[in-house]
Amino acid sequence: MNGIHDLGGMQGLGPLIREPDEPVFHEEWERRTFACLILTLAGGQYTVDELRHSIERMDPARYLSTPYYEHWLHSAEDLLDKKGVVTREELARRAAEIAARGRD
Amino acid sequence: MAALPREIVATAIRTGASARAEVGSAPRFKVGDAVIARNMNPTGHTRLPRYIRGRRGVIQRNHGGFAFADTRAHGLGDQPQYVYSVRFEGRELWGPDAAVRDAVYIDLWESYIEPVPSR
Repeated sequence: MNGIHDLGGMQGLGPLIREPDEPVFHEEWERRTFACLILTLAGGQYTVDELRHSIERMDPARYLSTPYYEHWLHSAEDLLDKKGVVTREELARRAAEIAARGRD
Repeated sequence: MAALPREIVATAIRTGASARAEVGSAPRFKVGDAVIARNMNPTGHTRLPRYIRGRRGVIQRNHGGFAFADTRAHGLGDQPQYVYSVRFEGRELWGPDAAVRDAVYIDLWESYIEPVPSR
């Protein structure tokens, strides 16, 4: 699809930001998102190409303003919901539980 | 959900799961062939970037067969094809303002490209 992800040749997005000692993960939730993604892929819930296409279908403005692992999280939720593994209600309930508990 | 054996975890994360697959037919293109990227605008998944559609390039290398992302993204199976490294000159892509030595190498599945029509 001709989506916002296909950035080749676009201008005006600013310089590439380079971090001298870039960590693998900037936040704990990124590390967990990585692990969840790998587990769902290895478990055969969806292919990496389905994941990629789900990322492409993100709202374009949100796609550009969110970090890489949020794209992964968005698509894991999207696909697990579509395939009936978890429901949006279960996700919302769990997110509310974690929010009420505060940060780990 | 299928179990993920503990012993394969480290390797799987380090190498990624390879999409390499056998193709049952002979390659359509060889190194040095002039090709043109197809102009297509599918609403589903594709790895064919917009900025090379309709542009000419030259085959640099045949990487071998790989499962086709465009079908795998939609539950339509692996349908493996050969993947080629294709060189596109900067001026072919960006016009006369591009530096003469600029070029882009893009890995493309066989169905993304066609032979340049002979004159």
